[in-house]
Amino acid sequence: MSALNLYQLVALMLLVAGLYGIVQRRSLVGMLISVELMLNGAGLSIVAAAQLTEANAVLGQLGTLLVMGLAAAEATLVLAIIVVVSRRFGTTKTSEVSTLKE
Amino acid sequence: MEVLAKVAFAVYALIILGGAVMAVGSSSLVRALVGLIVTLFGVAGMYLLLNTPFMAFMQLLIYVGAVCVLVFFAVMLTRAHGEGEEAAPAPVKQYLYALLAGLAPAAILSWVILKHPLASEGTPLEVPIVELGKGLLENYFLAFELISVVLLVAMSGAVLLAWERREKK
Repeated sequence: MSALNLYQLVALMLLVAGLYGIVQRRSLVGMLISVELMLNGAGLSIVAAAQLTEANAVLGQLGTLLVMGLAAAEATLVLAIIVVVSRRFGTTKTSEVSTLKE
Repeated sequence: MEVLAKVAFAVYALIILGGAVMAVGSSSLVRALVGLIVTLFGVAGMYLLLNTPFMAFMQLLIYVGAVCVLVFFAVMLTRAHGEGEEAAPAPVKQYLYALLAGLAPAAILSWVILKHPLASEGTPLEVPIVELGKGLLENYFLAFELISVVLLVAMSGAVLLAWERREKK
């Protein structure tokens, strides 16, 4: 088994943990944490593929930087949404936030 | 050196695994956040092993420094730590569905990875930061500008969403 495969398996492990968490968690914050896990796995996979094969290493690293930037933007927006939801519903339980409009 | 690299890889993989389990399994959201931070440090170690110290630095700066603080704000602003929305155990069905959702893509993807293994180069070379900067300002200029626009829009959108009008009270 080559080094690249090992890195890909670790990234896959992060994806599995994130998918498990996003289904199992019952609050929006927990789901946000799971999404961050998955994005991290994606970044690790991209950098490993770029560094360990013939692919363009600069492109891989910049791609992961973009993923990190998008993760930051996403976390900002989700934070705002969580604040609005908890202000309006009094909770961030996903089972109770089930209406689009009061 | 080869053995040392393998030992370091195993240690980082264990750190990532432990952190991920803590992040998705802990009933307290603050502890889950600590698990996420541990995972992020493990991934930063993996970046160091891949000979990309700049990415490891950015991982710590952006993820641990910015994203985790944001998640912590989310935990605190929603009082999710006290009442414990995650404290009561979920119905067993939910755990089963979650396991299924995690394991189904894992089975397919790991089958593909193990069935068609890609050969990898021996030692990854470090890309100088100058090259990365040139890439950002020459070849991938549009993506660089667009990510700034996305960040600006996300920032102003978050402010707009969370804005509390004063005359309401």
